[in-house]
Amino acid sequence: MTCFHLSRLLALYVTFCATRDVQGARGFEKKVSLMLKEEPENPKCFVESRKDFTCFWEEDEERAGSVDQYSFTYTYQNENSSSCPLRALPAAGGKRLFVCHLNRPQMFVQMDVRVHREETLIHSRSLLIELVFLLNPPANVTVSSMGQKGQLNVSWVAPPLKYMDDSMMYEVSSNTADSHVGKVARVRASSELILRGLQPSTKYKVQVRVKLDGVSYNGYWSAWSDPVFMETLPAELNLLMVSLTLISSFILIAVSLAMLLSQRRFVIKKIWPVIPTPESKFQGLFSIYGGDFKEWLGQTDGGIWLTPEYFYSAECPSPLEVLSELSPGPALPFPPLPPKASRAPTAGIKEDKDAMNGVDESDPALTERWRATPHDHWLMDRLRALHQNQESSLLESQDAYVTLSCNNHGEEGHPDDALEEASPLEEASPLEVLFASGKTALCESHSDLGSALRSSGSGGLSSQCSFEYPNHRAWRPKGPGYTYMAVADSGVSMDYSPMSRGDDIGNVIIYANEYKNEIPGLRRPFLSRQHPDG
Amino acid sequence: MSYLFLAGLLALLLMVLEWTQPGLATPLRPICDLRVLNHFIKEAQDAEVAMKSCREGCSLSESVTVPQTSVDFDVWEKTNGLEQAQEVQSGLWLLQQALSLLRTSVTNTALHSHIDNSIRNLLSINAVLRSLNIQEYTPPTSAAGLEGTWRASSATDLLQVHVNFLRGKVRLLLLDAQACQQDVS
Repeated sequence: MTCFHLSRLLALYVTFCATRDVQGARGFEKKVSLMLKEEPENPKCFVESRKDFTCFWEEDEERAGSVDQYSFTYTYQNENSSSCPLRALPAAGGKRLFVCHLNRPQMFVQMDVRVHREETLIHSRSLLIELVFLLNPPANVTVSSMGQKGQLNVSWVAPPLKYMDDSMMYEVSSNTADSHVGKVARVRASSELILRGLQPSTKYKVQVRVKLDGVSYNGYWSAWSDPVFMETLPAELNLLMVSLTLISSFILIAVSLAMLLSQRRFVIKKIWPVIPTPESKFQGLFSIYGGDFKEWLGQTDGGIWLTPEYFYSAECPSPLEVLSELSPGPALPFPPLPPKASRAPTAGIKEDKDAMNGVDESDPALTERWRATPHDHWLMDRLRALHQNQESSLLESQDAYVTLSCNNHGEEGHPDDALEEASPLEEASPLEVLFASGKTALCESHSDLGSALRSSGSGGLSSQCSFEYPNHRAWRPKGPGYTYMAVADSGVSMDYSPMSRGDDIGNVIIYANEYKNEIPGLRRPFLSRQHPDG
Repeated sequence: MSYLFLAGLLALLLMVLEWTQPGLATPLRPICDLRVLNHFIKEAQDAEVAMKSCREGCSLSESVTVPQTSVDFDVWEKTNGLEQAQEVQSGLWLLQQALSLLRTSVTNTALHSHIDNSIRNLLSINAVLRSLNIQEYTPPTSAAGLEGTWRASSATDLLQVHVNFLRGKVRLLLLDAQACQQDVS
């Protein structure tokens, strides 16, 4: 049984030694590769501790000879030279290493090294051994997250070198797991370090390496220690800060709501301005007729359109009485008397003109109306009554009277003439008709008009035609066949200059075709044409 | 007037006391901080660099005796404290002599300041050793045949020995000083 145990122990020991050797060899390889990178001179020498001094150089496999061909001699200052036994080791990339190892190097004294191959000096170097330290990386690197966020506590074990603890310098690198750029912190003669300014809730990779500080001892940076991963603490929510933030936000919201509610109307007006609509001007246009303007015009009395003040912004219109001449014949046109003459002064003039001229116009609707004979009788009676009752009032009023009763014929032969006469005159104003025709009644009125004009002076006959009709008799209806229409005009701007009064009688049409043109819609019920056929 | 009289009396009293040197000096506080020595080492290195770049007027007139600077740690640890102290102090004394000779030999004024600095530093190291209760030791005058010495003939060698000595033996001695060890433990 004891043999069995012993053999097992032996096996374990051998395995342990082999592992150590393997680890040692791996460590040596690491250092060799480091030296190859750091040291340009040959041979490359480094000391790992007080008792391990190694020198080596590299040669290509093809050109290298056997170990026996080489000799390594070293000489301390003021001492005799000594020789170092060499050994050859294979290296990566088809190279061979020749290594010299000294157990007890002398420090703080100059050492001269010479390498010979077959009596030929191939390498020569002078160095101080305490200045070529290449230590092992720090062991037992531990990282712990401290109580505060963004901090990590790193601690390690310094290389076991007596007399050199206070000469050591460490570098601690901390990288986040996904980035290659990290922080490097340096610390001297200490075996722990607190990393600050780290991100919370982040995993960090921490490594440490060591080097002697260069005052008494010097050397190369060791290899990085094996990485240690640690996550920093998450960011804590400071209760006080959170509560303060919540309270202040509540207060802000409450204040803003109060302001909004107090200025509700103002805000609504600004955000949601009322779009102006013309509904107020057109009563019933949108609500009843749905925006159909034609319908609305037809159904209502016009409102704004029929008021002359819409155009002239002048005084209120004075009533206009339209008297039309009627002939007893049924074929004669008979314009209907407008029920409210005051509302249609301008149209009445036009109507009267057409009636007097006996001009036909193809308007079937009107022609139908005109053929209603009972209506004619009623009209004549009405007119007579009007003359008799309102004569005085008519004459005394300020209104202007215009008689357009010059054309008494109304015969069919004349309509052509009348038509011809009327057609150019149609372009002119009704008053032109008044002054152009040379009939007696018209002349009378014409002369009266002239006197009235004279009396009015050279100013414009702007507001009211204030000429009277002095000769009442001419007004009397001359027979049942005559119907007189008294046209009261107002709002007519006429410029009668004294010069033009007598001369331009025929051309006294000053005002433009305002009456005629501005109210086209009203023509229809008042246009009177005579159909030759009747 | 009375103030002046009192100040004069005080000054006289101090002079008298200084002259008589009564009693022992108060023990110095041990200087265990090695940064002092590091500072001396750095200045010695500066002198060595300056000497290397010197072309003219920087040579020793004669060879000087200098201490051995090599340290074998195993040997050093086996040596007792007293021997270590003696070794260091004799080496410091030798270096002082050698640097004084160098001062007279060198004509380069730039080096004069370095050499003067080094000599001053050596004296300060003696004071540090005194503070650590290390017994003073002066080697015998006939230092030529002393063990652990050798003859340096160039100024460069001398300054290199100076640097190496400070970095090696002097430092190890200070590190191992009992006075400092007690403080640490």
